[in-house]
Order: sequence, then structure tokens, then C-alpha cells
Amino acid sequence: MNFDLTEEQQLIQGSVARFIKDNYALDTRQQLVASATGYSDTYWSMMAELGWLGLPFAEENGGFGGNQVDTMVLMEQFGKGLVLEPYLASVVMGGGALKRASDALKEAVLPAVIDGTCKLCLGYAEPQSRFDLHDVATTAAADGGNFIISGHKSMVLHGGSASRIVISARTSGERTDVNGISLFLVEAEADGIQRESFQTVDGLRAAEITFKDVRVPAKNLIGELDAGYAILRAVANDAILALAAEAVGAMEMLYKDTVAYTQERVQFDHPLADFQVLQHRMVDMFMEYEQCKSLLFRATLETVQNSDELAQRSIHALKHLVGRAGIFIGENAVQLHGGMGMAEELRVGHYFKRILVIDSQFGNADYHLQRFAI
Amino acid sequence: MNIEMSASDLAFRDDVRSFLKDNVCKPGEDYGRGRLDWFAKAAAKGGWDVPKWPQAFGGPGWTPSQHYIWEQETARASLPWDLPFGVGMVAPIIMGYGNAEQQARFLPDIRARKVNWCQGYSEPGAGSDLASLKTRAELSADGSHYVVNGQKTWTTAGHIADWMFLLVRTDDSGRKQEGITFLLLPMKQSGIEVEPIITLGGAHSVNSVFLTDVKVPVADRIGEEGKGWTYAKGLLQHERTGLAGISRSLVALEGLKAKAASVVCGDGNLMDDPEFRGKVATLEIDLLATEFTELRSLASAQAGAAPGPESSILKLKGTEIQQRIQKLTVEAGGIYAAAWGGNQVGPGFARAGMAGYLASRAYTIYGGASEVQRDVIAKNVLGIKRSST
Ligand SMILES: Cc1cc2nc3c(=O)[nH]c(=O)nc-3n(C[C@H](O)[C@H](O)[C@H](O)COP(=O)(O)OP(=O)(O)OC[C@H]3O[C@@H](n4cnc5c(N)ncnc54)[C@H](O)[C@@H]3O)c2cc1C
Repeated sequence: MNFDLTEEQQLIQGSVARFIKDNYALDTRQQLVASATGYSDTYWSMMAELGWLGLPFAEENGGFGGNQVDTMVLMEQFGKGLVLEPYLASVVMGGGALKRASDALKEAVLPAVIDGTCKLCLGYAEPQSRFDLHDVATTAAADGGNFIISGHKSMVLHGGSASRIVISARTSGERTDVNGISLFLVEAEADGIQRESFQTVDGLRAAEITFKDVRVPAKNLIGELDAGYAILRAVANDAILALAAEAVGAMEMLYKDTVAYTQERVQFDHPLADFQVLQHRMVDMFMEYEQCKSLLFRATLETVQNSDELAQRSIHALKHLVGRAGIFIGENAVQLHGGMGMAEELRVGHYFKRILVIDSQFGNADYHLQRFAI
Repeated sequence: MNIEMSASDLAFRDDVRSFLKDNVCKPGEDYGRGRLDWFAKAAAKGGWDVPKWPQAFGGPGWTPSQHYIWEQETARASLPWDLPFGVGMVAPIIMGYGNAEQQARFLPDIRARKVNWCQGYSEPGAGSDLASLKTRAELSADGSHYVVNGQKTWTTAGHIADWMFLLVRTDDSGRKQEGITFLLLPMKQSGIEVEPIITLGGAHSVNSVFLTDVKVPVADRIGEEGKGWTYAKGLLQHERTGLAGISRSLVALEGLKAKAASVVCGDGNLMDDPEFRGKVATLEIDLLATEFTELRSLASAQAGAAPGPESSILKLKGTEIQQRIQKLTVEAGGIYAAAWGGNQVGPGFARAGMAGYLASRAYTIYGGASEVQRDVIAKNVLGIKRSST
């Protein structure tokens, strides 16, 4: 047994950490948040040049051949840096679906995803679906060599700046059937698509995307007809692992910032950290962080060494704990900073908001608790 | 023991209900001035515009249970908040410790909501430990005015206020609670700079206020020099029980249930979800208990007794309940909890839910941070004596 990173993983960790140190001061980040796309195209190109966009793709497609542990290493650093670029959306989510597509589709699309010229997004949630991946009302009807897609995808992460969209659509069965869902790759500028992009509370971007009789060639079907759910579930599991790694990075910053602040801030002639009730609270924050990290390792390694299906319970456990513990750590980081914790000029509030958004993606703490308990 | 309302309380309740029904007041007009008309009508009812003021100053002279009924009914009618700084905070101090001239000069405009006030207590170095405040006031050689220098922070509504009431240091030779003086000053004058502090949801409600050589006539000092701490302390206690917001939480809880019932979840709605329903139930149980804790505290006040130990827990319980309601509202938003800019997407309550949740994190920080409140209860109520920190 060994939880050490390989030399290559240490290199990735170091290079992401350096990138963040050099480029992600809070005020720089907040300027990007206020820009039109909400992130930096320059940083995106840097990420492509550094090879990060190819991390989880097979070498034969021009990727690095990495696994979920490699993504975890990178995302944990992204969490510490509050990174805005659409890595998760394009590489882990959209790219994660394409990884499981036909060779022809992979060859046609992945090189551009890896060099950063094609940005992907994944549309899976719908107004009525809440957290159920299999609740799909969007329809795709076969029409000669095409499919005709109509429906509404909600809260599509970085959907506004993506050039291609991966979506789930129903090709047979009832709205909540697990069978009968298919995945398609759709050009974002295709006729019949409307996108409305907006900021999320953490400063990232999402979009509402509607499809009205959008024509998609049959070759853009990802995987087998009606069998898209298995792919979607696998992609969601990868996304959960990546988001959890990001959250763990944010939690580490939250507890450490709080430990540092309470040692500097003096009230009643004592540093706040002298007060035992605050010491114990910070110890609890630290313990919750370590526990999340343990479940992150557990779920990630089980996925890599077995399969995401065998790791499913651990993944549910992880997403539950990340939501519960993350919000506990975030709320207490704010509380222990007093008024300063409420101020946008400090980074604690931004980590806290990121953790809140992570809880709302791919099922919140309650949702995964129930799945775990079944 | 008996929990029935008396006949006169029931009659009072009906009177309040019909007044509120006939004089609907739109939510959102919460900064007072938009509602001058409403306050005038409430005044005509005999002091209903200033329910907590003593009769001698035009208040209605209600019994504690009438106050409770008013809280309940105004919460139920969603009466917008009145900014507390004028009518609720500085006015009682002016009544209690100001002179007749000051009472005549300030109280009518405060009552009419013609003048907005802000509270200048906290400083960068003086938050929970308020008594360590450093803003200096030096008396001029001729004894006619003070010259004030320093910085206040977290000043709510400082950017829209006409006047500030503040605590300043006039002497630092003794204990730090001594040597603090209570002053009033107009905000729109040279030497005062107000800088916004943006809080988590992007809102601007609090400010830093920089004071440079600001002259305050001695006539605008409340009470005696060096007694400001004593004056402010009584009010702080009062401010805290007012922050519990229990009647409002009872209404908000019903709102939460309705919101959750409007959210599609599988084949039913979110209130069918056992996990969510369980959390709402736990919250409701705590709220039912807190409501009666408040009633017990009210009953002892009604009987003229000093507030019992139970009243000390109201601020803590009340604010924690408010935060839990906000948190569950965010959870009810589901995937839409994250939506923020642009047009509203998802259920109508989602964005306001997140904004409300973020803002609610401050409830356990201001008006006595929760950790410090627990300290106070340990010392004053449980009687625990500590040898060090
Ligand atoms: C939204 C908002 C509005 C406000 N409006 C106003 C206003 O209008 N006017 C005004 O004057 N002030 C205002 N305040 C300031 C408020 O009163 C202070 O934030 C509060 O007193 C806490 O002080 P602090 O922020 O300096 O935190 P600190 O005192 O630094 O406390 C930080 C943390 O340490 C804990 N702590 C402190 N001392 C102890 C102890 N002895 N034992 C254990 N734990 C301790 C606290 O509980 C808290 O968790 C506002 C604050 C906010 C957030």
C-alpha cells in the first residue's frame, strides 16, 4: 500500500501550483470573473501548451494517458487557486464522454479538445430533473441519417463559450427510464440552438440551452443508441472525483487561512487562537478536511483499480461528505474571521462560494446520502 | 399556567390585523423613507409607528403580550423591515440619557423617518472587544467642541445615513470601558469619508468610515463624558433579543415548505423526500421550542420580573434557526442554487435563496458573535468563574 504520488504526478502538481502562484492572485481572478467569458483565453492556451488539456486522454488520441489520480492531483491545485477556466467542462465532462465514443469520433474531435481550440460542455440536467441523470425529457428522433433534437438543458457549465455540446437525449422509453437515453455531440452554433449564458455565484459561468428541431448527423452519436446512461454515469463519477478534489483543495485553504488569521487577530488582549472554543473548532475543520481527503483517495483509487461501478458506493460517500464537511468548513471559516469573513476582498468567502456550488452539482450531500443508503 | 390569550389581547390582535390589511405595505420599500405615508397612518393609531417607545415619548404603552402580537402579525403580513438605527437604537439612548434640548431636536425627525442613522461602534481593531475602540475625541481648548479622528468599520447604511451615533475615546488612562463617550454627528461634512465594503453576495450595505478632524459640538454629546459605554451597553442587550426574529422565522418556515413543495423531485415534490422533510421537521421542532422560550421570557417581563435565564438564549437560537431556514432554501434550489447573474433561471426563489443564505452568515457575527454570546451566558447565567482565557 502506498499513497505517494509518482514522479510525473509530482511534476504536474508542482507545475499547476506554480501556474497558480504566478497567475491567480485574487484581484486578477476577480477581474477575469467580471470579463465577458469569465476566464482567460491566454491561461487556456497556457494550459494546452503545458499539456494539461490532454491529461486524461489516450496517447493514441494525442493525450497523456493519465487516469483519475492524475486529474485529482491537478484539480486539487485548481481548487486552491479558484481557477476559472473550463477544464472540468471541456476535458473531464465533455471530453470524458468523447473518450467513450467511437474511434472515428474520437479522432475527429479529441485533437482539438487537447490543443484547446475546441471547448466542450456537457448538458445533462433539465428543469425537472433535479439531480437525476436519468430524468431526460429532451428528445432525439431518428430521421434518415440524422437525429432531430428538441429540449432544454439547464445549468450547463461553461455552456456559453463552448464550441460543441455533448447532450443526453431520450431516444426511447419514458422520461425517467434508465434505458433509452443516448448521447450526442452537437455543434454549438447549429440552427435551432439558443444559449443564454450567466454567472454562477462562484464567479464561473453556466448556460441555459434550448434545442428546437436541431439536426445532428447520426455519426455524432456517442456510444450505442439507447445505452447512453452508462456513459453518462461514468462521466458523472469522473466529474464527482474531480470536483471533490477541487473542493478538498479549497477546504485546505479555508482551514489554513483560518488558523493563520486567528493567530494574527487580537481581541480582548489575546490572539483569537488563544480561545479554546476556536481552537477546537479549527481542529474539527481540519479533521473534516482530512476525512474528505481520505474518501477522495479511496473513491479515486477504487475507480482506477477496479471500475467506477465497483467504486460507486465510495463515490456516493465522497460526494456526501464533501458537501457536508465542505459547508461546515466554509461556514466556520467565515464565522471565525468575523466581519472579515463576509468581505469579498478576502479569499475565504470565495472558497466558500465555490464549495456551495460544488455541492449543487451532480447531486448534493442529501442526494448521495440516499443513494449510499439504498 | 395558561396559554390562552385574554379577551383584550384578542381584540387587540383583530385591530392590528385589520390595520395591516387596510394598509398594505410593499416589501422592498424597506429603507423607511418610501413608507412615510404608512408611518403617518400608524402614528395616527396612537404610537403604532414607534411600538417600543415609552408612552412619555409618544409610544403606545403596550403590554409585553401586545408587543408579541404585533411582532407576529407584522411578520405574517410581511411588513418590510425598518432600519433599526434611528427608532430602535439611537432614540432610546437619547430618551434615556440625552437632555431635553436633544430630545426635542432629534426625536421628531427620527420618528418621522426623515433622517437616516448609522451606528459607528466597530473599528478595525475593535469588534467583539468593542471597548478597545481607539477613535479619539479631543476637547477643544475653549471647551466648545470635540475634534474626532479615527476609523469606524462595518457601518451598515453609512453611505445613505444623514447622522451617525458613535462611541469615541476621550480618555485612556483607566479601564478601557471607562473613557468612552457617546457622540452624534452629521455624515455629510468635510473630514468624513465613506468607502464601501462589498460583502459575499456582492451587496453594498456596509462601509468603512474615516474621520479626520471632524468637529462635534459638545451639545451633540449624549450624557456625560466617559459614560458612553454604560449607555451603549444597555442598548446592546436590547438589540440582541430583537435579533432573534422568531415570528419572522415562523413565517419563513411556512414559506420554505411551500417552496419545497413547488420543486419537482422524481415523481413527486421535494417535501416527499424523506431526507429533506426530516430536516424541515427538525427545524420546526427547534422553532416551536424557541417560540415558547420567547413566550416564557415575555411572561416574566409582563409580570414585571427581571428577564429569566431563558431569555439569554434567544439571540443564539433565533439566529441559528434563521440560518438553517436559509440553508434549506438553498438546498431546495437544487441545481439552480448556483445561478446568480443574468435573468432568473429555475424556481423564482433560487437566487434570493442563495443571497439570503450568504447574508445570513453575518447573523451569528454581528450583534454579539455566537462564541462571545456563549461566553457571556457561561459567565452571567451559569455563573462560571474563569481564572484565565
Ligand atoms: C453585515 C454586518 C453588518 C454590521 N453592521 C454594523 C454596524 O452597523 N455598526 C457597527 O458598529 N458594527 C457593525 N458590524 C460589526 C459587528 O458588530 C462585528 O462584526 C462584530 O462585533 C464582530 O467583530 P469582528 O467582526 O471584529 O470579529 P472578531 O471580534 O474579530 O471575532 C472573530 C471571531 O472570533 C470569535 N471571538 C472573538 N472573541 C472571542 C472570545 N473571547 N472567545 C471566543 N471567541 C471569540 C468571534 O465569535 C468570531 O467568531 C456589522 C458586521 C457585519 C458582518
